[in-house]
Amino acid sequence: MGRLATLVAVLGSVAIPFVVENSYIVNVCIVIFIFVILSVGLDLVLGYCGQYSFAQGAFYGIGAYTAAILYNNFDLSFWVTMPAGILSAGLFGLLLAIPSLRLAGHFLAITTIAFQTIVYLLLTQWTELTGGQYGLPMRPIEPLSLFGFEVLRVEGTTSFYFLAFAAMAVAVLIAQRLAGSRLGAEWKAIHDDELLARAIGLNATRNKIVAFVASAALAGAGGVLIAYYLGSVYPTDFSIWTSATVVAMVVVGGRATIIGPIIGAVIFTAMPEVLRATQDYKLIIYGLLMILAITFLPDGAVGGVRRLIRARS
Amino acid sequence: MQKLWTLIGAALLVAGSVTLSSAAEPVKVGVILPLSGGSSIAGSEVIQGVKLAIEEVNAQGGVLSGRQIELVIEDDESSPTKGTMAARKLIESDGVVAIIGTYNSAVSATAMKVAAEHKVPMSSGGSTSVSVTNQNEPGNPWFFRAFPGSDEQGTQSAVDVIEVLGKKRLAILHDNSAYGKSLADTFEKVTVEAGAEILAKESYNAGEQDFYSVLSKLRALEPEAVYMGGLVGDGANIVRQAAEIGLKALFVGSGSMMTDKFIELAGPASEGFAVSSMFEPNTTNDYGRAFAERYKTRWGVSANVHAALGYDSMTLVAKAIDRAGSTDGVAIRDALMKSDDVPLVQGPPGTMAKYDEIGGVSFKIGMAVVKDGKREMLPFNR
Amino acid sequence: MYTFEFALQILVNGLITGSIYVLVAMGLTLIFGILGVINFSHGEFYMLGGYLGVVASSAYGVPLLAALPLGMAGVALLGIAAERLVFRPIRDRDVTNSIISSFGLAVVLQNAALLAFGPQPQLIKTSLSSISLSAFGVFVTFQRAAIPIITAILVILFHVVLRYTWTGRCLRAVAQHPTIAQLSGVDVNRVAVATFAMGAALAGGAGLMMASVFMVQPGVGNMITLKAFTVVIMGGMGNVHGAVVAGLLLGVAESFTSGYLTNDFRDIIGFMMVIMVLLFRPSGLFGRAVDRA
Repeated sequence: MGRLATLVAVLGSVAIPFVVENSYIVNVCIVIFIFVILSVGLDLVLGYCGQYSFAQGAFYGIGAYTAAILYNNFDLSFWVTMPAGILSAGLFGLLLAIPSLRLAGHFLAITTIAFQTIVYLLLTQWTELTGGQYGLPMRPIEPLSLFGFEVLRVEGTTSFYFLAFAAMAVAVLIAQRLAGSRLGAEWKAIHDDELLARAIGLNATRNKIVAFVASAALAGAGGVLIAYYLGSVYPTDFSIWTSATVVAMVVVGGRATIIGPIIGAVIFTAMPEVLRATQDYKLIIYGLLMILAITFLPDGAVGGVRRLIRARS
Repeated sequence: MQKLWTLIGAALLVAGSVTLSSAAEPVKVGVILPLSGGSSIAGSEVIQGVKLAIEEVNAQGGVLSGRQIELVIEDDESSPTKGTMAARKLIESDGVVAIIGTYNSAVSATAMKVAAEHKVPMSSGGSTSVSVTNQNEPGNPWFFRAFPGSDEQGTQSAVDVIEVLGKKRLAILHDNSAYGKSLADTFEKVTVEAGAEILAKESYNAGEQDFYSVLSKLRALEPEAVYMGGLVGDGANIVRQAAEIGLKALFVGSGSMMTDKFIELAGPASEGFAVSSMFEPNTTNDYGRAFAERYKTRWGVSANVHAALGYDSMTLVAKAIDRAGSTDGVAIRDALMKSDDVPLVQGPPGTMAKYDEIGGVSFKIGMAVVKDGKREMLPFNR
Repeated sequence: MYTFEFALQILVNGLITGSIYVLVAMGLTLIFGILGVINFSHGEFYMLGGYLGVVASSAYGVPLLAALPLGMAGVALLGIAAERLVFRPIRDRDVTNSIISSFGLAVVLQNAALLAFGPQPQLIKTSLSSISLSAFGVFVTFQRAAIPIITAILVILFHVVLRYTWTGRCLRAVAQHPTIAQLSGVDVNRVAVATFAMGAALAGGAGLMMASVFMVQPGVGNMITLKAFTVVIMGGMGNVHGAVVAGLLLGVAESFTSGYLTNDFRDIIGFMMVIMVLLFRPSGLFGRAVDRA
């Protein structure tokens, strides 16, 4: 039953660019896919492992800027900058994992916020490297050539849609495998009671590091994609507000589920677009929805639906 | 769990089969401006100029033999991502034939790529940075700017400071936005070439507020004039705090600072404040003065440079649509490029919209000073 | 150029700025220390205090010093409303909930202010600003000079309340051990209300005073929140005295960076200091027990 539903979802997504008349919806979907990568990644460290990270926006930015800097200074193609972006974001994730080994709860949250803010400030101030407020330009994705033969060409909105969809699918699969593996179970154990987990011999240190690195790497991938999608990188997209939005996606969607963050990403990306009509009140409604969702759906949308199903049966 | 997947799959299919129709009788023109956040003051002023232009055009029968122009307004929140999405929505969902926008250069730079991709002409809503028009292919521009760019503004300020105001010992204070930084860099380059001495060049985060210490430092250096590159709120703060801290220097600001609000916020310290200005209500440009009167009648407040450029931008687009005789983007763009005979409210008397091959317009920028608490424009040929 | 007078001016600037940080951080650390809530909308109390001041002075002609207690009372009411509507329902849940909820609240408050007051900066006009004092080469307006004095009064008042009143003891009890406090008869709800009222009032007062010096816009809360968190981390989360010292320290550090190095680093210095503290003394310079991992 689950397999069938997944198949329907996949086929539906694949059909969208061909069925929908105006490509505005296709473009919104691309952004949704990218945010799914971010939120699913964050769920690993926040939902499963229980480590409060408000730095997803920073890793998103690190991925994007790595790609931009490599392109602008070394003329490298997407097929090199993508893995580079993932790698560099992952390394920074390692950096942030270090305080997590000694701090927890509020303190870790504040540390990740400090990290996020410092990265943002560096992006805006270190003009020589990052272009500062001017940003950096990007060119469209170059064709992939192997042994002199052109293998893949990603040009135009529809192609980018499928690239983003494929990336999202890979990210979701990776997250699902990690979450369902022994590592995922160990993460949950650490989340529930770290002292106890250590007492029974789990290597909390290694697990936490893996969680941070994995979530950062995924965010980095998302960042590379958005850089190519927008055709440029500017610091504004990688601020603490982005981080908070991704956290909201995970929490409101449903922590420690894979589908929860996906739902959250859809809600929070589509919402401003849907609310465009109520221009002046748009952000107020957005904030209110955040508060209401957190207050009344502590387990997120997934938890709410589960409770509904259980109540019926 | 499985039911959730089904729901999602179904939702996606439903979303996929929704189609949207576009364009009825009125001709739609899109507007992208920052209507919330830090630049929203500017955004709201530009849009008033745009709206006045629309009302006048529609009152005279609209375009293309009687079709009214309808504005579709989007808020870009000063974000490149939102601006790009707004551009896509306007073009693909709403079917606009042209776009007025936007104000922050970083947003314009990204959004114009969408416009160019879909061949929809875009006319600046205040974005001044030349980095945006530089993205245009020479002879094939899709982004238009009906006034001089940031480098010219910075240069003109620099020239005026040295020659008209006669100051040689200078300090620069700019915010670290693309706008503030580019003005500061150009100003420094030109004044140094003319033999001036830059005693200090400091930056601040827009919205900073506390300038006391950096101003104390400048006071110790004793500059004759301080050039500010940034937005009106910070500019007012700086001028006021400078007076409080005993810094006696002439303050020269950038275009967006010369507003009545500035004078109100800076108080008596604003006396003597000078700004390179393309438009003031008492400009010597007849066309501009007439506009200022109409604007005052319509909105009850006096016009400033933002309203003026919004008005010019929209007027040019409306005329181009009419001259193109169709809603085809390429035709409108081509008509726009031939606007040499359309007068602008900004600039010296007789300024016309003569676009160069990358979509920019050049004219001599004036200087306005605050005298007796009021903005006054000095003659353009000083 | 770098004379003694210059240093003194820079120091005075720093103490004034620092006083504001102290007020805002004190409220924040109180809310965290007693209720375990991380309040990201704290800066909005500051902002709203500023606007209340603007309304009082421009619409009703209330002089600045009279507007201060009025503004503080007004923001205190807002704090109570926030506690009741936003934070109490999620009191027993983990900290991410309060972080996200308070973010949502911050967005709501900021945009409500934008709608109500418009995006233009507003200033409280006061005759006190034209009286300028000048001694030892230090220039300061009367109104700015009043800020550290008012801050000191508020801090002392606060300390007295915390130490010597019944309410104060209840607050401290809950901070030390909520369950035992409850068992001893402390009404946690009342404590929560009192905490938010006080915390918000302090921030609102700071905002009001600053609205006469700097101007208020809907977005001023953002930077203040971040700076307040910096101070709270440095001083030790929940440590009120630490907040006082750290607040002044941050103000002075920023001022000296701006005056002696370059203004570009002004905001970064705070974050550098925070990183140092988090790396080497995560419980804060004067800290209390940290949640050990």
